[in-house]
Amino acid sequence: MTGKAEKYWLLLVGLTLAGAWLAETGHAGWPLSLVVAGLIAFKGRMVIDHYMEITGAHPRIRAVLHGFVTLVPLLVVFSHGWGGLIKRWTTIT
Amino acid sequence: MTENAVLPAPTFTVEGGEHVPGNKGIWVGIFCVLVEFLLLFCVYFIAKAHHPEAFASGPDKLATVAGVAITLLLLTSGYCMVKAVAAMHRNERHTTLRWVLAAIVLGIGYPLVKYFEIRWNVAHGIDGEAGIFYTVYYYLTLNHLVHVSWGLLGLAWVATRTALGIYSARDYSGLEAAAMYWHATDVLWLVIFPFFYVLR
Repeated sequence: MTGKAEKYWLLLVGLTLAGAWLAETGHAGWPLSLVVAGLIAFKGRMVIDHYMEITGAHPRIRAVLHGFVTLVPLLVVFSHGWGGLIKRWTTIT
Repeated sequence: MTENAVLPAPTFTVEGGEHVPGNKGIWVGIFCVLVEFLLLFCVYFIAKAHHPEAFASGPDKLATVAGVAITLLLLTSGYCMVKAVAAMHRNERHTTLRWVLAAIVLGIGYPLVKYFEIRWNVAHGIDGEAGIFYTVYYYLTLNHLVHVSWGLLGLAWVATRTALGIYSARDYSGLEAAAMYWHATDVLWLVIFPFFYVLR
């Protein structure tokens, strides 16, 4: 890991600044949601695999962490495309 | 390099021999925090589904630079903890201490930036009653700040123990556990940042 840490840090910083650029340009819609979902998944996975170094860890730990950074981006996509469905499911009539 | 540099990595293992980074206790805590934030994220998605206009325009009024600064502070602080654990693995205690202290200093930047961000928000009329988007924003980000505060206390604890020479290349599970928790708060912020500063 050591020696590669700087490379991963630089990549994470670069992706963060790319996200900030997206925020400032005021993009919206499907492309933004897909890019944000991708950024969350990729950056989360980088921290988990290269900062936490869980590649050799107990499979349940890996499954929970990888599952988390997979599920949340999927929810981002789902909420963008099917917000009406979420609203219907969570409305008390 | 010392002769201890060739020591095998200390591992906490469970049945089946798989490695548990840090210790079991910290993973119970991390899993609980992940579940807690997953529920909070569901609140975000539900609120967004009911008030799409508020969530589309909400980020425009927030200071993106504050969110970026917090992200960079946490990522860099996390990097310092990676270096700290690697240094302890080589039994370089003084180097470890320097990296942990650097991680703490950068980590303290988070509540400082948050303080100025909230002051700026309030000055611009963005308080907890400014609308549903900002209510969820304050609830989620301040909740995360609380967890980062626990993490900072944990880092201060392991810095003290490192300074006292309690950890060695043979046993530094406490240091590694604190690093795991710190990285977990990092992962959570990587989700929170786009939710409130980028997504429309």
